[in-house]
Amino acid sequence: MTATQGTAAPSAGPILELDDLGVIFTTETGEVPAVRGVSLHVSPGETLALVGESGSGKSTIALAAMGLLAGNARATGCATIAGTQVVGAHEADLVALRGRTVSMVFQEPATALDPLTRIGKQIAEVIRNHREVSAKDAATEAVELLRRVGIPEPEMRATAYPFQLSGGQRQRVVIAMAIANEPALLIADEPTTALDVTVQAEILDLLRRLAVETGTGVLLVTHNMGVVADFADRVAVMYHGEIVETGAVEDVLLRPSHDYTKRLLAAVPRLSVAEAGRPAAPAATTRPDTEPVVELRDISVVFGRGKGAVRALDGVSLAVHAGETLGLVGESGSGKSTASRVALGLIPPTSGTVSLFGTDLAGTRSRARRALRAGIGVVLQDPVASLDARMTVGECIAEPLRVHRRKLSAKDRQSKVAAVLDRVRLPRELARRAPRELSGGQRQRVSLARALVLEPRLLVADEPTSALDVSVQEAVLDVISELQDELGFACLFVSHDLAVVQHFAQRVVVMRAGRVEEQGATGATLLHPETDYTRRLLAAVPVPDPVIQRGRRAERLATLAAGRTGAQG
Amino acid sequence: MSAVIQPGQAPGTTTATAIATGAVSGSRLAVRRFLRNRLAVVGLGVVVFFFLFCFLGPLVYSTDQTHTMLQQVNLGPSGSHWLGTDAVGHDELGRLMYGGKVSLIVGLAAGILATVIGTLWGAAAGYAGGWIDAVMMRIVDAGIAIPALFILLVVSAITTPGLTGLIVILGFVSWLVPSRLIRAETLTLKNRDYVLTLRAIGGTHSRAITRHILPNSVSTIIVATTFQIADAILLVAYVSYLGLGVQPPATDWGGMLSAGLTAAYSGYWWLILPPGLAIILVVWAFNAIGDGLRDAFDVRGRG
Amino acid sequence: MSTSSYLIRRVLQAVVVIVIVTIVVFGLLHALPGGPARGILGPQATAQQIASFNHEQGLDKPLPVQYFYYLNQLLHGDLGSSYTLNEPVSQLISERLAKTLVLTALSAIVGLVLAIPLGMWQAVRRNKPVDYVITTLSFIAYSTPVYFLGLILVLVFSQALPWFPSQAPQGDTLAQVFSDPLALVLPVVAGAASMIAVFSRYMRAATLENLSEDYVRTARAGGSRSRSILWRHVFRNSLTPVIAMLGYYVPVLFGGALVVEQLFNYPGMGLLFWTAAQSSDYPVLLGCVLVIAIATVVGTLLADIVQRIIDPRVKAGRA
Repeated sequence: MTATQGTAAPSAGPILELDDLGVIFTTETGEVPAVRGVSLHVSPGETLALVGESGSGKSTIALAAMGLLAGNARATGCATIAGTQVVGAHEADLVALRGRTVSMVFQEPATALDPLTRIGKQIAEVIRNHREVSAKDAATEAVELLRRVGIPEPEMRATAYPFQLSGGQRQRVVIAMAIANEPALLIADEPTTALDVTVQAEILDLLRRLAVETGTGVLLVTHNMGVVADFADRVAVMYHGEIVETGAVEDVLLRPSHDYTKRLLAAVPRLSVAEAGRPAAPAATTRPDTEPVVELRDISVVFGRGKGAVRALDGVSLAVHAGETLGLVGESGSGKSTASRVALGLIPPTSGTVSLFGTDLAGTRSRARRALRAGIGVVLQDPVASLDARMTVGECIAEPLRVHRRKLSAKDRQSKVAAVLDRVRLPRELARRAPRELSGGQRQRVSLARALVLEPRLLVADEPTSALDVSVQEAVLDVISELQDELGFACLFVSHDLAVVQHFAQRVVVMRAGRVEEQGATGATLLHPETDYTRRLLAAVPVPDPVIQRGRRAERLATLAAGRTGAQG
Repeated sequence: MSAVIQPGQAPGTTTATAIATGAVSGSRLAVRRFLRNRLAVVGLGVVVFFFLFCFLGPLVYSTDQTHTMLQQVNLGPSGSHWLGTDAVGHDELGRLMYGGKVSLIVGLAAGILATVIGTLWGAAAGYAGGWIDAVMMRIVDAGIAIPALFILLVVSAITTPGLTGLIVILGFVSWLVPSRLIRAETLTLKNRDYVLTLRAIGGTHSRAITRHILPNSVSTIIVATTFQIADAILLVAYVSYLGLGVQPPATDWGGMLSAGLTAAYSGYWWLILPPGLAIILVVWAFNAIGDGLRDAFDVRGRG
Repeated sequence: MSTSSYLIRRVLQAVVVIVIVTIVVFGLLHALPGGPARGILGPQATAQQIASFNHEQGLDKPLPVQYFYYLNQLLHGDLGSSYTLNEPVSQLISERLAKTLVLTALSAIVGLVLAIPLGMWQAVRRNKPVDYVITTLSFIAYSTPVYFLGLILVLVFSQALPWFPSQAPQGDTLAQVFSDPLALVLPVVAGAASMIAVFSRYMRAATLENLSEDYVRTARAGGSRSRSILWRHVFRNSLTPVIAMLGYYVPVLFGGALVVEQLFNYPGMGLLFWTAAQSSDYPVLLGCVLVIAIATVVGTLLADIVQRIIDPRVKAGRA
């Protein structure tokens, strides 16, 4: 497979060069500049990470470089790939470039592939777009590419449809398509954001190996500083459509010079890792004496019937006590969200008991059960879907009052809403606004205000910050923990982000495939895990420090290799 | 390069464009989108025109639509009868206004009735879920399996209804499609996070339905109503053809059209073209409005 | 879900729907003035004759018992007798059903073959003049009552321009009906017009939706040309939901056939139904409703199965 028709000819200049690139979107409310005066370059064999928060314009740059901007976007300035100007180029010239000189890997592997075409055919299509190869040879080559990106049994898998593959495997297929013609430049737009951490680590390993093997230049677009530390040689930081800082990865991540970069890095939750030889921290936060606020005992949940039945939870037991935060972590499909919904009474358990505030839910009548639930507050993941767009912010927050304090006068209700807005540190005037007018972070704080307006004894937060940028995430988490100190509620905190849980929760429950893998005090469990699974999970989390991350990566790969030879031997 | 960054700017303001877009209210945005759809605006104009034509037109252009005048049958268009006269001597232009009233009223009422029935049924099925939903939707399937025209023809063989009866019959043969749409809408809405949150803190089903699901279905319901009115006006046109229409001397556009069918072969084009074009224009207009509303509200359903 | 268990579930659903239809038809039968007895004995029967007939046939028994009696008759293919044509309803229908099926199938095929490329063309040229023109024409075609369209077609293409006959070919057998293909042109066009309108809209919407899908961007990033993406990927992905809509459209097609057959004097079930309505021949009317409903349910079932064959995701029960 080595450079039979490779276009990665070692030339002197950079493979990608942006000079004063600008992109303007024409929207219903007027022209919005998304990118302004961006200049950068990527040389063959190097990886440049383009980092920034949502709306910073980083993905727009990636699309502009491919000439794939949406119809309502207009690019200005220069973007040259291997000497060819992309801005304003003819579609025919771009077609010759795309998939051959430059390729792209996208964020969402679930939708990136044609659902009705077999994956082998989709790869072969890219090959035959650029080379005079017979259909049969292209098919053979597609199988080879699948093997190269680490798909097991590639001959069989080539005839599979995308829906038959996991998210990680689909991303591997997209990568296979991207490298099919040995491009000189690979643009990866948040290639691991939709994936679990262990899969993310594998995909990053794969991309790194391929880039090294072929000397391909990589433009990596990401918001994740850990991924940057793991993968990039150089970093460009974007803010509001402009690049504010560029430099070598060590310089930018360890010695940032720009204010924004400093703020951004300060907000990134860092996973503390055990250093060899240090003893485990004493587990100070166990509270065995008090009665739990909510307790799941031996809960199983089965969806569906017969052969198609899925066991989402299998013998899960956990308890949350007053004043403490229990972190519920796990990868997608681990059952952590299902467990939180069982605790909320939204999903009835197939077997096992749920007790809320010391009362068994199964034994209570519906009216009593509703009254009991006045003590629950809920914050869910999606800042948009969490608030009814047809209500004002004030009405959203007042809804629990209307349900449980029906006799409250309108005036009292308003003052309670104002008070709780103060608590979540939002201006009182927001009560009259529509949720649509708020930013994502503000909306999540409105959800929090709604959850707290009845002064609950239990707050269930299901990934409350995973849709938010890190700087916003920090502010929301700070508000939750301050209010917890003040009000003393118990918090069940569901998250996929181990670093966030480590900072936020006193105890942690690690879930995997519907079961509890291990649980204990956060300090002990996440620094000195007892199970292999938790260890692997922790090892896969990239930390935003290139030096440390390099060591962790080597260690992880060594462990994996040892595990493999151990299994073979 | 860092000139635009104001130090000390609070985190959470990175979504500047999102806030800027949000400043325009949702309904105003919908109106703007609707007005940009040229076909929809023309459709709105056509509907307004026909309402003025049918309800205010007779005040300006007054004609006798009750007595037969055998001395002036099947006259061609002229100065005294702009669109000629029909087989019993009624002025055709005046009759177009007179019949249009019936077509528009019956179509509007039947379309709204169908949407109301369909909304209640679909929302109940979607929210209840499980076997109740299954049974209710099989009944809808059964209703859809029998073409409306067949039912109407059977009814016409049994009885001749009055105006109200006609509206009720038309409403009851056309609620099935909207019920499907609303059910689908309810299914997605009842799993929205804000509804789940409400239920988790002990909110009642009736609150979920009245405060969240129905208000959020309003745009879907409005769009469905518009298409339903278009279909109902078309159905009214078939009803007279099937012999179920209003009785003479009252008439509607469908009645005028089917009465003129045989006359058309004799070359009396003014007896069929005006009512035919009126039906097409009004039904087209309601469809165009519905299309524009759907795009403006960003509602899915019906191609 | 495996294909066989899906099929079993889907067929069971269809059976449930048909049972509900029989209840509706049974209800209509009893809603007739004089009830089913009048339906069978005819309009001239005296009250006494009806009473004795009711007793003989068990029609004085409770309704649920009568329903099962009716269902039993149906299962034996007994739909009663026409009292104007003196023939069993089942025989009358079986002679004409095939002709109606052929007419509707022809209309559907013509409709789809034109609608699908039109819709795709519109999607590709979105908001260009072509799109507006086809959209406007589609709405006009949809808004035109079939009988008015048929009349215009006859006036223009049969009277003014003597290209096609204004009457469908007559005859008992399919071969006789097909003896003069030219005569089928106008009925098929009249039946296909609103279908072209509706399905070009569906296809336009489905194509637009698919054009904005991520996989199109992936294919473009791989260097595929727009035309090849359109035909290799977007076309098939857009066609699947449109095929699913075809099932729901079957009753509309039959409704159209009712008018078209009457208008062009085409000797199918629609015409039979029509004449039966003029003479209040209730057994024929209700028999036709039942058969049409069953044909609709079967048509919907077939559309679902076809969709399952072309979409691998549905086969796996994921979509």
